[in-house]
Amino acid sequence: MTLGEKLLSIKRETLFMILILATSIPLFFNVTLPNQPKPEAISFFEAANGLKEGDTVIIQSDWTEGTRGESRGSMDALLRILTRRGVKFAILSVADPQAPEVARNVMADINKERAKEGKQPYRKWDDWVELGFFPNGEALGKSISANLRNAVGSKLDGPDGGAKKPVFESPVLKDIKLISDVDMYFVVTGTKSIIIAIERFAKQTKMAGMVTGVMGPETYNYYVSGQLVGLVAGLKGVYDVESQMAETYKGEGEVNLDKGTKYIFTLHVGIFLLILAVVIGNVGVFLTRGAKK
Amino acid sequence: MGLASYEGIKLTFGVLATVGLYTVLYRENKFYRFFEHMFLGLAAGWMLVALWTETLKASWWDIMVGRQPEGDTPGAPGYWILAILLPIGLMGYFVFSKKHNWISRVPIGIIIGLWAGQQFDAWMQKYGPQIQASTKPIFPTTMDSMTRPWTDYPAGSAQALPPETIAAIKSNVYLSQALTNLIALVTVICVLAYFIFSVDWKGNKAAGAVTKTGRYLLMVGFGAIFGSTVMMRFSLLIDRMYFVWIEWLKHTVLGIPG
Repeated sequence: MTLGEKLLSIKRETLFMILILATSIPLFFNVTLPNQPKPEAISFFEAANGLKEGDTVIIQSDWTEGTRGESRGSMDALLRILTRRGVKFAILSVADPQAPEVARNVMADINKERAKEGKQPYRKWDDWVELGFFPNGEALGKSISANLRNAVGSKLDGPDGGAKKPVFESPVLKDIKLISDVDMYFVVTGTKSIIIAIERFAKQTKMAGMVTGVMGPETYNYYVSGQLVGLVAGLKGVYDVESQMAETYKGEGEVNLDKGTKYIFTLHVGIFLLILAVVIGNVGVFLTRGAKK
Repeated sequence: MGLASYEGIKLTFGVLATVGLYTVLYRENKFYRFFEHMFLGLAAGWMLVALWTETLKASWWDIMVGRQPEGDTPGAPGYWILAILLPIGLMGYFVFSKKHNWISRVPIGIIIGLWAGQQFDAWMQKYGPQIQASTKPIFPTTMDSMTRPWTDYPAGSAQALPPETIAAIKSNVYLSQALTNLIALVTVICVLAYFIFSVDWKGNKAAGAVTKTGRYLLMVGFGAIFGSTVMMRFSLLIDRMYFVWIEWLKHTVLGIPG
């Protein structure tokens, strides 16, 4: 067997094993890579961090465990910024019925983190409310653009363990009627639900997105055209936001560098492995063809 | 948190499911099939419950039947007109009847009509600003610098520039920006030209070159999307490995914090 044939006959199982090792071993080392945040992530951070105490925003959380690798870091970073700024928020979902439960769990973890930092927990009903799941993003978007209160006003929520009431009686939404009354609308998504939201009401409020790497190039157009005021795309986007948070928030025990920072070095190792595999494959083909000639 | 705690048991089961699903990389097996079916069953069950609790109950049933006053929460009248949605929705199930399947076209027609009506406004909101943003200056207004000086420093940082300086820099078109805009303009024209299928370009060398360039530029775009997709798949794998090695093994089994 020639060298070219050997390179081309590496077993699939061997490659998978190398891949597993390459994406596991670096996780045990805290390697922080130098970073220059991209302009769209800087715009995102400035928009989110520019919100004032008492402002009200809506978070459209359209991700589940399937895109946890990128979306969890995004959601964590967004909720950390909003809770530190004292911003009130409502969470709704349109893409997956499991999404409200996932968002609820993230909020519970953020409150545990706040407790460790010696801060008050973010109280359900007074500081944030859940609007739940809506099965049709297009219809909901159109309804939101006409009258936010009519669109989501049928939902009930309440303090933990307390009675449920209409959500617009809550301190979070009592002064909100139209989507233009909301200070910002964030979409954290593992799907293209952000585009449906842009189509329906992006011009009525400031909208920013946190999308997965797959949706990044497609969604970038909407940032360039000004339809989105900021965009966080993929793991690099999460790392960009975390880097800016570390520059801005230096409180004792505050978690700034989390999933994005922990994963980015491993991602580099994985991509290096991928490039190496492509090179080996091409060298193998080149040598084999040369030998045949 | 130890292995015997509820969280520990939950994480251990999650690790088993993760390993079970990844065993398909070796070959198709019953362990993989078990967890695949379990995931599908859980998702379907969850969807069914969520359909009622999150959607039908809150957005239809509760509004239809109204609400009695309770404590300091006022009551609400029932809107029984919403009951008409039930037979319309049930009409969809006539798709399974050979004789009466035409009835299923009623709800489908309503949905398509509502959706189509929205598209006029949606299209304009989606593409209007993008068409506007495609018209960019292609001639530089200053030759002071090849590239636009960096202004996007985080607010409050040592390098942050005064707003008037940022405004002055941003109002200029620098040579590199003009070139970028030109490339964007050429890309828009060439790619749009590629999709003009109603004209036969055969024999027209100039038009052929434009559409061919459009095809190559589309491929560049697809390449960027593919690259991002690969990175995302890596991120998902890394997260699973983090879950297995750090969250489960390091934190839960070995009890090492951090």
